[in-house]
Amino acid sequence: MAAKKLRRAQLSQQLCERLNRCQITTCQDFLCLSLVELMKVTGQSYYEVQKLLCKVSRACAPKMQTAYEMKLSKSVNPSSAFLSTTLHSLDRVLHGGVPCGSLTEITSPPGCGKTQFCIMLSVLATLPVSMGGLDGSVIYIDTESAFSAERLIEIAGNKFPTYFDSDEKLFCMTRNIHLYRELTCCSVLKRIMSLEEEIISKKVKLIIIDSVASVVRKEFDTKLQGNLAERSNFLTRGASMLKYLAEEFSIPVILTNQITTLLSNGPAIQADLVSPADDLSLSE
Amino acid sequence: MQREVGSLPLAPGLRARLAAAGFQTAQELLETGPCGLSKEIGISKEEALEALQLVRQECHGDAARTAGGLGTTRKFTALELLEEEQAQGFIITFCSALDTMLGGGVQLTKITEICGAPGVGKTQLCMQLAVDVQIPECFGGVAGEAVFIDTEGSFMVDRVVDIAAACVHHCQLIAEAQQEEDHLKALETFSLESILSHIYYFRCRDYIELLAQVYLLPEFLSEHSKVRLVVIDGIAFPFRHDFEDLSLRTRLLNGLAQQLIIIANDHKAAVVLTNQMTTRIGQSQSTLVPALGESWGHAATVRLIFHWDNSQRLATLYKSPSQKEATIPYHITPHGFRDVQPPAVTPNAQGTEMNPRKRPRREEEKQ
Repeated sequence: MAAKKLRRAQLSQQLCERLNRCQITTCQDFLCLSLVELMKVTGQSYYEVQKLLCKVSRACAPKMQTAYEMKLSKSVNPSSAFLSTTLHSLDRVLHGGVPCGSLTEITSPPGCGKTQFCIMLSVLATLPVSMGGLDGSVIYIDTESAFSAERLIEIAGNKFPTYFDSDEKLFCMTRNIHLYRELTCCSVLKRIMSLEEEIISKKVKLIIIDSVASVVRKEFDTKLQGNLAERSNFLTRGASMLKYLAEEFSIPVILTNQITTLLSNGPAIQADLVSPADDLSLSE
Repeated sequence: MQREVGSLPLAPGLRARLAAAGFQTAQELLETGPCGLSKEIGISKEEALEALQLVRQECHGDAARTAGGLGTTRKFTALELLEEEQAQGFIITFCSALDTMLGGGVQLTKITEICGAPGVGKTQLCMQLAVDVQIPECFGGVAGEAVFIDTEGSFMVDRVVDIAAACVHHCQLIAEAQQEEDHLKALETFSLESILSHIYYFRCRDYIELLAQVYLLPEFLSEHSKVRLVVIDGIAFPFRHDFEDLSLRTRLLNGLAQQLIIIANDHKAAVVLTNQMTTRIGQSQSTLVPALGESWGHAATVRLIFHWDNSQRLATLYKSPSQKEATIPYHITPHGFRDVQPPAVTPNAQGTEMNPRKRPRREEEKQ
């Protein structure tokens, strides 16, 4: 939306050419200037410039929806609002399961079962809707090389023995899980940015990133100057792209995180609090 | 009438020509007339007429200002302001401790900022306020509508349904207890569907969409004149990444704050913003402070900081022009934002949000 060219915002050709000469081509450039600067650049009066601002804003602004319309559109297809985890008490606490259309974060100390949980959810997502699944593919971005295809088949075969009764069905399921091994922050971000087309072409219904913390902690040492800002920049860019994908396609996105120690100011004999590793910005 | 030509809101090219032709005051322009003007500076008669009409409008506005009449400037005595403020309603939050601390609730025509760590309840309060602004006047509300601008995607319709249902139920209980006619009449229109239909939701994905939406807000509010609350959930999120030029960010944020103040005053609406927390790395230790920098702290009139103390959520009134600084505990229940129940009564079911920092509540299992 921000990169929309001004000529598509229904400004006159003449005005667009004039603005082009000052290097103002997109709506973003236009809206970042103050009114006085705009008057100088467009050569028009104050009130004219205000009208132009409204015109360009209309080209970028989001559409309005009332909360009632949102509720109606959700209730049209209630089963697609959650991915049930098949753990009944967890589903009850989550009001149905992992929600579609938003980001879910799974955090724990090492060895508690995050990757196992992710592998199980991948199996569940490929199941047909009648069995509680999402009937689609899965994109699994693995940064720790912890994904084991054998374990995947073991889980599928043992959890749903009647459905996966033949090897054929198992392999069909594994073909639907697309695994990407990314080992640096840069490649993770590039992969996230390229996901939009893959989701449409492969009919993806679940995105898993396991884990965000390992790449971030490897590359950014917060004690060094400037690293905190860069890390936060990377995390918010990734998070906003993932949120956009989750909302646009109404699919669940699962991220795993690690544990760090939040050192309190008190004496060392007190138990230290543990908190999720990443900067606060990711969990917003 | 003696206004200088350079200060008139004409196009810069036109102003330059007028200055070159020797015009100095608005009076001279008006005396010349459109035909004379068009001959002297070489513009068409239509353009000259347009310019003169603009000048006349400006001078008229100036005259009205100096005569002390109504118009774009507001001149009041403190007594008139006092009467206005006392007649104004507040938007209650259903947490009486918070309402008392704020002096009645969230005030109209002021900007209130809520800062806090993730998971502490900022969006919950915003959703609660979007429902509470619609409470009819006979129940103590302002009977308004709400605009919800979401930049983080944390607005959950199902949660708003829960909160709205609890609010309607609460009003029904009051109506049954008091049995007054206007209560029952108001309840006919105050239903779940009407509450949801009067929350106008905008999802802005980056700061340009947010800026564009705020530019368009005055027009939207003139069309929907009953709006009494504008919530921007997550003003920090779109501004915290992809901004190499921090001075541009400060400028845009200041512009945004100015526009919101104008909107709040012109349309008698409350503006509620939520902000994130960031870490300020000091000499010996680091502290959590509201994000977006020091200059943003001046934008809001009232600032609330939500934080944790072990397992209890607390709200601190950090900045207010009329109320004392205080800290109160609050609770998030399945019905929404509420007071902490006194220890004699069995506490409500645990909050709907899990915080991994919380120590596990072993006493809850006895219930």
